Amino acid sequence: MWRRCLLTGVSAWLAAITPASAFIAYVSNEKSNTVSVIDTDSWTVTRTIKVGQRPRGIEFTRDGKFVMVAVGDDDTIQVIDAKTQQIVDTLPSGPDPELFAQDAAGKIMYVANENDNTVTVIDLEKRARIGDIQVGVEPEGMTISPDGKMLINTSETTNMAHFIDTATRQIVANVLVDARPRFAEFKRDGSELWVSSEIGGTVSIIDPVKREVTGKITFDIPGLRREAIQPVGIGMTKDGKTAFIALGPANRIAVVDGASHKVTKYLLVGQRVWHMDFTPDEKYLLVTNGVSNDVSVIDVAAQKVIKTIQVGELPWGITIAKP
Amino acid sequence: MKSQMVWRITISALFAVALSNRTALAADPRYPDWPCAQAKVPEISLAQVWAGPPLDDAGSKWKDDPKINALVTRLSARRIPLEEAQKEITEFLSSAADKATAGRLLFAGLFDTLNAQRASVMNGLERVMRKQRNAVEKIRSDTLELQALQGATPPDQPKIDELGNQLVWETRIFEDRRRVVKFVCDVPTAIDQRLFALGRTIQQELE
Repeated sequence: MWRRCLLTGVSAWLAAITPASAFIAYVSNEKSNTVSVIDTDSWTVTRTIKVGQRPRGIEFTRDGKFVMVAVGDDDTIQVIDAKTQQIVDTLPSGPDPELFAQDAAGKIMYVANENDNTVTVIDLEKRARIGDIQVGVEPEGMTISPDGKMLINTSETTNMAHFIDTATRQIVANVLVDARPRFAEFKRDGSELWVSSEIGGTVSIIDPVKREVTGKITFDIPGLRREAIQPVGIGMTKDGKTAFIALGPANRIAVVDGASHKVTKYLLVGQRVWHMDFTPDEKYLLVTNGVSNDVSVIDVAAQKVIKTIQVGELPWGITIAKP
Repeated sequence: MKSQMVWRITISALFAVALSNRTALAADPRYPDWPCAQAKVPEISLAQVWAGPPLDDAGSKWKDDPKINALVTRLSARRIPLEEAQKEITEFLSSAADKATAGRLLFAGLFDTLNAQRASVMNGLERVMRKQRNAVEKIRSDTLELQALQGATPPDQPKIDELGNQLVWETRIFEDRRRVVKFVCDVPTAIDQRLFALGRTIQQELE
């Protein structure tokens, strides 16, 4: 009895010091030129930070100390100190930066500049521009292979996924995908690269070794026009077993089996669902809904929407602090 | 001489704009006349905006109810702020004898009306885009003609002035339309937003 009491006491104490879901999410609001800070414990907006014009791509630095946000109409990337939640610096991107990717060490950053068909390479320690890579028209999606050797950039108008060797910074392959590719994501084991196509309405599965499309995920939602199904953001669990795909104005997230590539479920979220990020424990997935101006919280295990949080106007990107 | 310079600058700037416009949009092969960055969704599907009870025959019946009709017209007007429209819905449904039927009829009416409003805006945008394309062609050929006139000896100054003026006007109209299109591109989305928000209010009342 006494022992049981002690055990209960200890676990209660443990629970108290490690709250189940105390993470901080940062959401870029494209139209209101702000970043909303969400506490995932209370599921409320705790702060709204004024940033530059047209904030879109947003990501924590690998060390979790800063949040970088691409402010396209100001042609720069702003750096927010995660502790003070204030803008402390800017990074030299090209014109109209939209999305970016960091290498595993968090030392090098690659920025897709939508307006001049280049990818800018930035040294994050020196916060200096160290090079440019010429890519296709309207570069957008950016990701790095898990082994760090390959940078993937998708170009909206050229309809390609460019494979760029990170050592030589040369394009080594171009893979044609469906119309207006928006986002690229690797499985953690590096076995597959997924690329979403907004107008094509598909997600292409690419074999990164052969560098060819080996399969395609298609979506069919009864009662919805095909044009409303616009795949954009992709989120995959670390084990690669489950993927979530944002379908834009279909107002739904498709849940996809990572192995069979079959859609198992559609979750109704807000309007024009765009990008997403997991909490580090993968218990929750937060998705941005650009037209209804909110963020939906999905319970990953239950595959259910459990909460909606109102944010700024036209929420676009989201990043959650890794502990 | 000075005015010729101005034309030349305006015209080269115009071509730069027309060209950059073309590259700045990853065109949808299904809708070549669609001028907006947002991918075109020709009409709103019910499943995008309604997760409430099935509408059944409400789609054909809402027009027969004068009270619903009047309310639909009022709430569809975007000059009425959203919050006010939502308040009116709540008040109307709270006092309705058959709340479930009234709610379904009201949503069916809003769905039809706002969808039609949206379609007409989208058609207008595509019509303007076609006009713009013709305008670019006209400006291009007038520019060539002007260059030819300027190169001729002796130059026909009155004709050069006339064509130059015409080009300035054509350019101005093109630019004005371009600005308007950019602004109007947000309207279909604003209608999506309104319909979704009003639908959500109705659903909450029916729950």
